[in-house]
Amino acid sequence: MDSITLKVPHTTERPAEITNYGPTTHISQPSVTGTSVVAFKYKDGIIMATDCLASYGSMARFRNETRMISVGNNTLVGMSGDTGDFQHMKHTLENLLTHEYDMDDGQNMGTRSIYKYISNIMYGRRSKIDPLWNSYVVAGVENGESFLGFVDYYGTTYQSPTIATGFGAYLAQPILRKYVEGHEDELTEEEAVRILDDCMRVLYYRDGRSFNKLRRAKVTAEGVEISEPYPLDTNWTIANYVVGYGS
Amino acid sequence: MARRYDSRTTIFSPEGRLYQVEYAMEAISHAGTVIGILSKDGIVLAAERQATSNLLEQSIGSEKIYEMNDNVVAGVAGLTADANILINQSRVIAQRYLQRFDSPIPVEHLVRRLCDLKQGYTQFGGLRPFGVSFLCAGWDPTFGFQLYQSDPAGNYSSWKAACIGENYSNAQSILKQEYKDDDSSDAGSNSSNVGSAGTRMTMDDALKLTCVVLSKTIDTAKLTSEKLEFATITLKDDKPYIHIYSSEEIDEVLKKYDSVMKPSED
Repeated sequence: MDSITLKVPHTTERPAEITNYGPTTHISQPSVTGTSVVAFKYKDGIIMATDCLASYGSMARFRNETRMISVGNNTLVGMSGDTGDFQHMKHTLENLLTHEYDMDDGQNMGTRSIYKYISNIMYGRRSKIDPLWNSYVVAGVENGESFLGFVDYYGTTYQSPTIATGFGAYLAQPILRKYVEGHEDELTEEEAVRILDDCMRVLYYRDGRSFNKLRRAKVTAEGVEISEPYPLDTNWTIANYVVGYGS
Repeated sequence: MARRYDSRTTIFSPEGRLYQVEYAMEAISHAGTVIGILSKDGIVLAAERQATSNLLEQSIGSEKIYEMNDNVVAGVAGLTADANILINQSRVIAQRYLQRFDSPIPVEHLVRRLCDLKQGYTQFGGLRPFGVSFLCAGWDPTFGFQLYQSDPAGNYSSWKAACIGENYSNAQSILKQEYKDDDSSDAGSNSSNVGSAGTRMTMDDALKLTCVVLSKTIDTAKLTSEKLEFATITLKDDKPYIHIYSSEEIDEVLKKYDSVMKPSED
């Protein structure tokens, strides 16, 4: 043996293109971002909402964005985090569906399969220290059963009757826990919309990167419906009592 | 004349034939018979073991019937060593699909992947084809119970009843006569009985017919569990359930349908 070389297991070796002297090919921070996603189960399926903003740091840059997409016939995916990474995921999912369409074998991709597919990608990317800087909320109705799951950029996954990402996890989740958890199956659509709007209103009041123009979407056995954008009624009277306001 | 065109898989003969593929199929026609019969409530697979000896420890391992996945079971005819490679590949394909999509692989998808693999060995690489035919019996939520036959060329098709291996043409003609097809005109619109539409056979009918065909195609005086492998796939709690019969269970089946089985000419 002429020299001693350290044999590194293949999982930690980086491809030849990514070396110590090349450009950094993994992000350490997101650029254009979306804030919270709020979603929960109700009687007919799942309801979800996101605002229409993609922020550029503290700038409210793109104010007509949709951070939810329908995948296949009966899956809804909402995102918070980097918009560029979301677009990449969108393209990947579209390719998956195109491939399924090509196969033309009468089979459909269910919500659980799409959830697993996304989770595998997210965990795979984190394992390369090159994450897609997103949190995804995946919702669908399969065989009469509602499915609601979460995946983040660590590849952490969980399912729950109520899910909220970003600021929503701190501000909206307690509301959902009180008004939804335990009786998802009895909530009508009107009640669900009311609770959802209340959550989004709180987020608009208190999240500094939110926007008062939002979309809501529902997934039921009939499929996915994403609404047109709408604003919420807000009451800023309390602002008069804030010391320093207006002066 | 054919001699000139049969030494490589990757060339056609002047008549447009692939001799290596045909020779592979010839090998299979000398292998132990495998029969598959589709019924409304499940599929029966039965196979004749060719390697029998007092010294063989037959209770361990199978020679003909293998589980590919929770929802697919297959019978093989041909070169067992070749079959083992393909069985292993299919198992990996099925598990990979499960890992990616959290959903059991659709039966036709698995069969297609397997057949694409087999086809590759008839077109490039310069390696001989696999000398194996499969009868894949499976269930998925979209199409219900399905039975597929695949050959060394990589062709596959879906059957209500099929047979591969020795005496397969004999068996096929018996099956054609005796199989209780659903001849009502709206067989295709049967949505509640997905996949099993088009047949009036019950599991009992299928088991009985299997025994009849086995007794007529296998060359021994009396069928015993020593010479046979048996498996069924049915639904249990709305989930596919594969049952590979033990020798005692095979004996029970043979006893139950003893009356319909004719012993071969004395």
